[in-house]
Amino acid sequence: METAYAQALWKMVEGGMTPAKAVHALRDTLKAHGREQLMPRIARAFARIAQREAKRTDVVLTVAREKDERRAHKEIKDALSRMGVETKALKTQVDDTLIGGWRLEGKETLVDASYKNQLIELYNRVTA
Amino acid sequence: MDSATVEKIIKEIGNIAPAHEGEHVGRVVAVGDGVVAIDGLSKAVMSEVLLFEEGKGKKLKGTMSAGGEAQGELFGLILNLEEDGVRATILGDTARVSEGMTVKSTGRILSVPASAEMLGRVVNALGEHIDGKGPFKKTTLMPIERQAAGVIDRKSVTVPLATGTKAIDAMIPIGRGQRELIIGDRGTGKTTVAIDAIINQKYEPEATRPICIYVAIGQKESKTARIAQQLREQGAMDYTIIVDAPASAPAALQYLAPFSGVAIGEYFMDKGRDVLIIYDDLSKQATAYRQLSLLLRRPPGREAYPGDVFYLHSRLLERACRLSEEKGGGSITALPIIETQEGDVSGYIPTNVISITDGQMFLVTDLFNKGIKPAIDVGISVSRVGSAAQTKAMKSVAGGIKLELAQFRELEAFMQFASDLDKATADRIESGRRMVEVLKQKNGAPIPLERQVAALYAAGHAFFLDVPVNKVTEVEGQLMEFLDGQYSKTLAAIKKTGQLSEDAKKELNKAMEEFRLAHAELFSVGK
Repeated sequence: METAYAQALWKMVEGGMTPAKAVHALRDTLKAHGREQLMPRIARAFARIAQREAKRTDVVLTVAREKDERRAHKEIKDALSRMGVETKALKTQVDDTLIGGWRLEGKETLVDASYKNQLIELYNRVTA
Repeated sequence: MDSATVEKIIKEIGNIAPAHEGEHVGRVVAVGDGVVAIDGLSKAVMSEVLLFEEGKGKKLKGTMSAGGEAQGELFGLILNLEEDGVRATILGDTARVSEGMTVKSTGRILSVPASAEMLGRVVNALGEHIDGKGPFKKTTLMPIERQAAGVIDRKSVTVPLATGTKAIDAMIPIGRGQRELIIGDRGTGKTTVAIDAIINQKYEPEATRPICIYVAIGQKESKTARIAQQLREQGAMDYTIIVDAPASAPAALQYLAPFSGVAIGEYFMDKGRDVLIIYDDLSKQATAYRQLSLLLRRPPGREAYPGDVFYLHSRLLERACRLSEEKGGGSITALPIIETQEGDVSGYIPTNVISITDGQMFLVTDLFNKGIKPAIDVGISVSRVGSAAQTKAMKSVAGGIKLELAQFRELEAFMQFASDLDKATADRIESGRRMVEVLKQKNGAPIPLERQVAALYAAGHAFFLDVPVNKVTEVEGQLMEFLDGQYSKTLAAIKKTGQLSEDAKKELNKAMEEFRLAHAELFSVGK
């Protein structure tokens, strides 16, 4: 139940209501239903939603080697604009298993231009 | 490496262009018991196939041995769309999925491959070969969930589907496009009746022979292997496909297997072919669906089944039909099997499926234990549409059998309390006993239509009345051999025309008389 209240609170704030006003409205509702004791649990559920949403909006660029980053930044411009993300908001990490190329993941979107992915696709097509 | 493979690789390398197209993805947040909760995938649709990305963070070689090469790609199927994510079932090994794994949306509804190459093969619920005979070369993808044919696209059931079981073909006839339930306790011969129906199709001309699909749901693999072997030995595997979701398979595959079977059946039906599909059994599918639904946190209803368990079976069985000539005239005949507990047919799933199907045949433990096999209780078994499809020959000999047997059962019960019986009653009981013997049949030995007609004609004309009850089966066998040898033309005419003409009746009477004279020692009762 606390998750449902937390989701409602999240949606109210997302919908443009000020946080203070939304919390007041929630408290009044809980009071009217005799459910004020739920407040701490709602706060924890709200924190979980916030954490999940933060993860959702995170956009991560993964490159095979550090020196590939500059080239990758050039190549991902289009993809970033489609995702509505600015270069500054990017998090970058290195994963040498990619072999080469890059991989951009975030906002429910994955653009995989790594050599590893292309080799796997080639393998799957040839062996199919 | 041969030159063709090298050419193929070079061509594929040429096709490679850096993929900058975004894919719609989500992330696994919880996994267990074959069900996975995924965060994201807000644009996903119901029943969409998902692809789990197993290679993240793994070396290329490790990725290929974990996925592509050894076990194939790992797919999931969306079953719940929720406010903040989706819940899906894993169509494979749950151990391969871990928290945080990226899941890709494929944009396609679950489909199974289908082709004529599948005949004689054993496949799993995803249509993949599991008999070690290699992959299928050319297949067509058929959606697992498809809207059943509408009223306009359908045609009445008028063509018979011979099962080779006398009791069924005479009293509970099945037509092509019908759904006839086989219901009974465990160990009463439900599967045997269904398998005999498959074997019997070998007597059909190849052009009109139905393609048979046997869907094994939650069965022991040894049982399915035994059935495959039996069908192979009888030469029935050439026109049969086995879809196997054994007891060891995940619940998701057991739930999907009947849908895969009917999707493969629809491939043939769309080509104008007749199909016979056996679901063995739907009780186990319902149990698998209950397990999935509870894991998906859907609210439980009666007997803890989800509210849509009726829809699960109705949408499956509605896909069995006979199409109109404009649609090719193909058909799917469904023989679903339901296992009851202690003969209780008032359970949730049995009553559901009884109400969906066009009739049912009850197999009863008492009859089975008395040695009456197939143990069909003809008093409570019905076929609601099959009589329209019964051949004229069979109709002419089977007309009074059901009534005669019903009267016999009543008198038999009464006889236990009465010592003296008048002659008419005694004759009726004796005749009934012999009719029961005539309807007995060996396991795995279906009887072609013309021989069934001849046997029932003989029984209906008091031919066996002078034969001791325990010799009836033997005498019937000898009579059939005699007819095969001396009156094969008469049998062939019955088979060809599907009718019992006056000439044929005269021939049969003559044959019976000749047989009686030649084997007078067999007709010893009353002498």
